[in-house]
Amino acid sequence: MQAYIIRRALINIPVILLVATLVFFATSVLPGDYVLQRLTSNDSVENATPEQRIKHLADVRKELGLADPVGVRYVKYMGRLLKGDFGTSFANGQPALEPFRDGIPYTAQLGLMTLFVAISTSLPIGVLAAIRQDSWPDYILRVFSILALAMPNFWVATMILLYVVRWGLWEVPITTHPLLWEDPAGSIKLFGIPALAGGLAAGAGIMRLMRSQMLEVLRQDYIRTAWAKGVRERVVVLRHALKNAMVPVLTAMGLTLAGIIGGNVVFESLFNIPGVGFKILDAIRARDIAVVQSFVIVIASFIVFVNLGIDLLYGFLDPRIHYS
Amino acid sequence: MAQKQGAIEIAGIESIRKSLSDRPFFYRLLINSGRFVVRKPLGGFGVLVIGIVIFAALSADVISRYDPELSFSAAKPDCTAEQAAEIVVSPTGQVTTKPPISICFDPILALQAQEEPLVRLKLTTASPDRIQTGERTLVSVSPSSEHWLGTDLSGRDLWSRIVYGARLALVIGLGASLVAVLLGTTLGVVSGFFGGVADMAIQRVVDSFQAFPPFILLLLFTQTVDKPNKYFLAFVLGLVGIAGVVRITRSAVLSAKEDVYVLAARTIGASDTRIMARHVLPNIFSPIIVVFTSAIGAYILAEAGLAFIGLGDPLAISWGKMVNEGRALGPAKPLMALFVGLALTVTVLGFNLAGDALRDVLDPRLRGRGGRAGF
Repeated sequence: MQAYIIRRALINIPVILLVATLVFFATSVLPGDYVLQRLTSNDSVENATPEQRIKHLADVRKELGLADPVGVRYVKYMGRLLKGDFGTSFANGQPALEPFRDGIPYTAQLGLMTLFVAISTSLPIGVLAAIRQDSWPDYILRVFSILALAMPNFWVATMILLYVVRWGLWEVPITTHPLLWEDPAGSIKLFGIPALAGGLAAGAGIMRLMRSQMLEVLRQDYIRTAWAKGVRERVVVLRHALKNAMVPVLTAMGLTLAGIIGGNVVFESLFNIPGVGFKILDAIRARDIAVVQSFVIVIASFIVFVNLGIDLLYGFLDPRIHYS
Repeated sequence: MAQKQGAIEIAGIESIRKSLSDRPFFYRLLINSGRFVVRKPLGGFGVLVIGIVIFAALSADVISRYDPELSFSAAKPDCTAEQAAEIVVSPTGQVTTKPPISICFDPILALQAQEEPLVRLKLTTASPDRIQTGERTLVSVSPSSEHWLGTDLSGRDLWSRIVYGARLALVIGLGASLVAVLLGTTLGVVSGFFGGVADMAIQRVVDSFQAFPPFILLLLFTQTVDKPNKYFLAFVLGLVGIAGVVRITRSAVLSAKEDVYVLAARTIGASDTRIMARHVLPNIFSPIIVVFTSAIGAYILAEAGLAFIGLGDPLAISWGKMVNEGRALGPAKPLMALFVGLALTVTVLGFNLAGDALRDVLDPRLRGRGGRAGF
C-alpha cells in the first residue's frame, strides 16, 4: 500500500513537469507579450521618437527577463520551478502566487458549493432511478438528467439571474462579493445561482453513470443472496449495492472536479467573483505569463493529487482491490 | 440440394420473401434506419434534430428571411416600399438616398415599436452611420410577424442569426470531434500496439492533458493566435479532447491485438503497419464511431462557453456570444437569451441522444458512460 502510494506520487512528478513545460510553451507562443500589451497603451516616455520607444520596450523586456531566447528562458524557468520559486508577476512585482492566494477562498467556496449540488442531486437521483427502473419516476429523472447534460450551464445561470432580478425574488449582489463567513445570506444569494447551474450540469453525467452502475450491481448474485437472507431494502441498496457501484462513479467525480474548476472561469467572469478563474483570465489577457504558469501548475497538481486520493479510496469501498 | 439465391418457387405458395441481405443497398439502409428509429425512439428524435440543424445550416441563405448582419430601423408607416428601397447602403457603409432619410423614418413610431409588437412596421436597413445620425434602430423588439423572434441589441433579426449560428455549431462540433478522433486514434493505436517506451511516453502526455482543467487548457490554446477563426477553434477543441480518445482506443487495441487473427497475420509475415491498418483498426471501429458521435455535443457547449466570455471567433455568429448579448439586454428583455439558449440546448440534446442510441447499438459495453468529455 505504502509502496503503491509512493510510486503513484512519483509518477505524478513527471506529469506535473510535463504540465509545466506545456504551459510554458503555450504561454510563450501567445501573440504580443506583456510589455507590448501594457506599455504601448500608457507609455511612460512621452514625446519619444520611434527609436527611443523601441529601445525603451527592449529595456523593459530585458528587465523582466523576456529578452532571452525561448530555450534559455525555459531552462531558467524549470530551474526556478524545481527550487519551488514560481517567479514574480509582471503587473506588480509580487510573487506570482499572490493573486492565487487572494482568489482561492472564492473559488473554493464556489467549487465546494457546486460539488455539493452535484453530489446531492446525482447520487440520490441515480440510485432512485435504478431501483425503480422503468417506472414513471425513472423516466422523469432520466429526462431531467439528459436535459441537464444538454443545457449550457452558463445559459442556465444567465436565465436564473435574469428571472430572479425580473421577478424580484432577491437582490443579487453583483458589485460586492461576500464570502460565506462574511455575510452568509448575501453570499448564498450570489454563489447560489452559479453553484446550482454548474452543479446540475456536472451532476447530470454522474447521475447517469450512477444509474447504470447500480443497475449492473443490483443484478449480481450477492444482492440476490442479501435479499434471500431477508435484509431490508434500505440496507441492500445502501450497504451492498451502493458501495460496490461507487468505484467508477468516484473516478467520474474526479474528472468532474476538473470540469468544475474550469467551469468556474465562466461563472466567475459572469458574476464578477474575484476567484482563481477570474484572475487567470485577467492574467491571460494581460500576458502576465508568470501568473498564468504558476496558476496552471498549482491547479494541475491539485487535480493530480485528488485523483490519487480517489484511487486510494477504492480500497476502502471495495476490499477486493489490491494495490500493487 | 443446392438452392438458388433469391425468391424460391414452391407450388401453392407465391414466393418466400428474400432475406434482407439480398436486397439493394438503399433498401437495406431504409429498413435498418427504420428499425433503429423503432428500437431507439429517442435516438430517432436525436437524428431528426441533427437533420433539422444540418438543414438550417445548409439552407441558411434561403430560410433566414433577412441578412443576419443587417440592422433594422423603424420607418414611417406611409413610407412606400419604393421610398424605402431608395435608401441604399453600400458595403462600405456609405448611404445614398434620393429622398432625405427623414421621409422614411418616424422616431415616435420606432419608440412605440420597441414596446408594442403589434405596431406594424415597414423596415429599412440601417448602417452604423445612420444610427449616429439619430435614426432609431429597432433594439430588441418583441417577436412580431416581421421578426419572428424579435431583434437583438443591434436591431438585427434574431431568427436569421439563430439560423446562421447553426453553421458555426456544426463546424465546431463535427470539426473538433474529427480532429480529436483522427489524432487520438493514431496515438491510441500506436500506444496500445507497441507498448513499451512509446506507450509510457504517450500515456504521460495524456495524463498531463487530463491534469488540466479542460476549459483552462482551452483558454490557453485559443489565445495563441490573435483572432481565432472557427477552424482554428475546432482544431484546438479537438486537441483538448484527444486525451479521452487515446484512452478508449488504447484499451480497445490492447484487447484486439491479443486476438487470433492478429497472430495469424503475424505468422504469414505481415508488417506492423499492415496489421495495425488492416486488422486492428477495423476491429476497433465501433468504439471510435461512438467516441466521435458522443463528444460532438460537448464540443459545441465548450465553444459556446468560450464565446460567452468573449474569447470565441470575434467575427462569427455564435450562439454562445448571443446568449451573452441577451444577458446584456437585462432582465426586462430575457427572451433573446431564452431563444438562443433553447437553440443551443436542442442541438446539443439531438447530438447527445443520437450518440447514446448509436453507442447502445454499436458498443453495448460502453453503455451509461455518457458524458461531456470532461468539459
